[in-house]
Amino acid sequence: MLPALYALGLMRWEEISFGWALFAVYGLVQVALTYAICLPLERWRPVEHWPDRRVVTVDVLYTLIARVGVLPLVTFVLFYQVQTSMNGWLADHGWVPPMLETAAPFLLGKPVLTFFCYAVILDFADYWRHRLSHSFRWWWELHALHHAQRQMTFWSDDRNHILDDVIAFLWFTAVALVIGVPPMQFPLLVLVLRFIESLSHANARISFGWFGERLLVSPRFHRAHHGVRAAGRRSCNYGAVLPWWDMLFGTADFSRDFVPTGVPGAREALASGSYASQQWAGLTGFLGALFRAPAPATQATASARAAGKPADRAASSRAAAAPPGSPRSFRP
Amino acid sequence: MGLLCRLILACAALAPLPAAAAGLAVVMNSGAASLSLIDMSTEKEIGRVPALREPHHWALSPDGKSLVVGDSAGNALLLLDPQTGALERRVVCADPYQLGFSPDGKLLVVNGLARNQVDVYDAATYTLLHRFRTGSMPSHLAFSPDSRRVFVTLQGANALIAFDLGAMKELWQVKVGNTPAGVLWLNGKLLVADMGTDYLAELDPADGKVLRHVVTGRGAHNLFLSPDGKVLWVNNRVAGTTEELRADTLTPIRSFQISGGPDDLAFASDGKVWITRRFAESVAVLDPATGAITDIPVGRSPHGIFLNPRAPTPAKVALGG
Repeated sequence: MLPALYALGLMRWEEISFGWALFAVYGLVQVALTYAICLPLERWRPVEHWPDRRVVTVDVLYTLIARVGVLPLVTFVLFYQVQTSMNGWLADHGWVPPMLETAAPFLLGKPVLTFFCYAVILDFADYWRHRLSHSFRWWWELHALHHAQRQMTFWSDDRNHILDDVIAFLWFTAVALVIGVPPMQFPLLVLVLRFIESLSHANARISFGWFGERLLVSPRFHRAHHGVRAAGRRSCNYGAVLPWWDMLFGTADFSRDFVPTGVPGAREALASGSYASQQWAGLTGFLGALFRAPAPATQATASARAAGKPADRAASSRAAAAPPGSPRSFRP
Repeated sequence: MGLLCRLILACAALAPLPAAAAGLAVVMNSGAASLSLIDMSTEKEIGRVPALREPHHWALSPDGKSLVVGDSAGNALLLLDPQTGALERRVVCADPYQLGFSPDGKLLVVNGLARNQVDVYDAATYTLLHRFRTGSMPSHLAFSPDSRRVFVTLQGANALIAFDLGAMKELWQVKVGNTPAGVLWLNGKLLVADMGTDYLAELDPADGKVLRHVVTGRGAHNLFLSPDGKVLWVNNRVAGTTEELRADTLTPIRSFQISGGPDDLAFASDGKVWITRRFAESVAVLDPATGAITDIPVGRSPHGIFLNPRAPTPAKVALGG
């Protein structure tokens, strides 16, 4: 890389590009690790079998773009610039820039413990971001792209609308700035958290047991969140890595057992369209939500209400009808 | 000088150099938020001092009692005991990337690379006296011997800028090469290492006029004058070489292959040269006499390096802070 930067007259970017390249490599390694771990799990104990996996291919594209390209750029380069400006401004005015180690000095010199603390705080912040994304219609119209996937796999974690990703980045960055995450650790934190999130999306019949389910988000736990009966505003199991926040705030549901996924009533482009058509469908839905009256409830909540049951606490049922045009076999 | 003294000095000059210099080496691991402490006699890392975020460069306080390390992303100066490496205190400071005390010991100049500013502090109290807003990426600095001027390379603006430290005003700014980095006052002239090129630029300190180019190697990054003032060492980052030049004529003497991005350099009392290898997470100890290189693993992205040959036994090194 150095000779290329020199040849192009871009040596001023040498230091920062080294960091960016490093995290791009980390992203690539993480994708490879995720593939190496999650694919065998999906093949060993799949929840569903799909004769046609074309709709999964676009999720692969989302993952590569996000973890090798975009994430290193925004989580290192942009975050570094923003943090330097903000902290320098604070220092200029005599304030000590925020960082966890100055608030809790016992963390100094303990990078592993500090990293864990950052991860817990960021996961807590992500729980609320996620919960809010289900609460506001305009936001749900963006986030629905992620939930529309009826063939959920470990590739599905990065299947997000660009605007949803932008909001998530701003949210995450704001929290990371307040707690002073080191710029060299922020991309690592994101990659580690994303690895666990990939696992939780896997098409794998895996539960971590009674205790494990309450320690770390499992494929079973997160699949309940993606269930057709939990789509929309009143969902459950919002946690990305730790189920603790769902348990604390009453949104945990440990009763569901490998339910089918998707958003009933969502536009087909969101579920099975190309990358571009998915993004377009999300954008038009978002704009429509901003300028139109509230839309009817989703099919799941409407039918649940008719049955007199809360949508997100319906007893697990494997009789959900498959949407037309998507043959699937669902193992009980 | 008495005859006995002359005899003693003559014997000392003839005495062979020790096998390895004693003392303490402190390496700024800019990518690992830590400082590596190395026993120079064994050339082994013996401990690490945690920094806040990104320690890059250092300066020794005028009284010699504090090793001042700039933790740029940590927005703090770390003051260490140069004898033991122990962290004594921190001083809040905006983006201290590169720093230096004026030769008269009265001022501390700090370059804020990411914030495009050059700050002038009172050296005794660390009180900010003046801030210069500069062009992009103020990088390295050099003082005039009379302490009245400081010269700062602007990596992003491809320029060298001069400030009057008495009147606290800018004197001149000139374009110089591509990505100028290291700067040194030598023999009444200024030498600037141009990292985007393969040369040093020699400039007139009066007005910044470029007098000539001296070719060294691709990615000429930083330059260091040997303690005896006879040899100029230049680290060429892209070429992966460390070049020896005659300090008086700037003619090349020798070139050594130092892969992994040679960055900063320090001279040990045994004649060896310690060079941080920025992308190799190590320090290369070069014996110029034989060309032999010893590699000492340190933390990620090692940058500045400080050698204290007068540090006591390394067993007394204190860590943490």
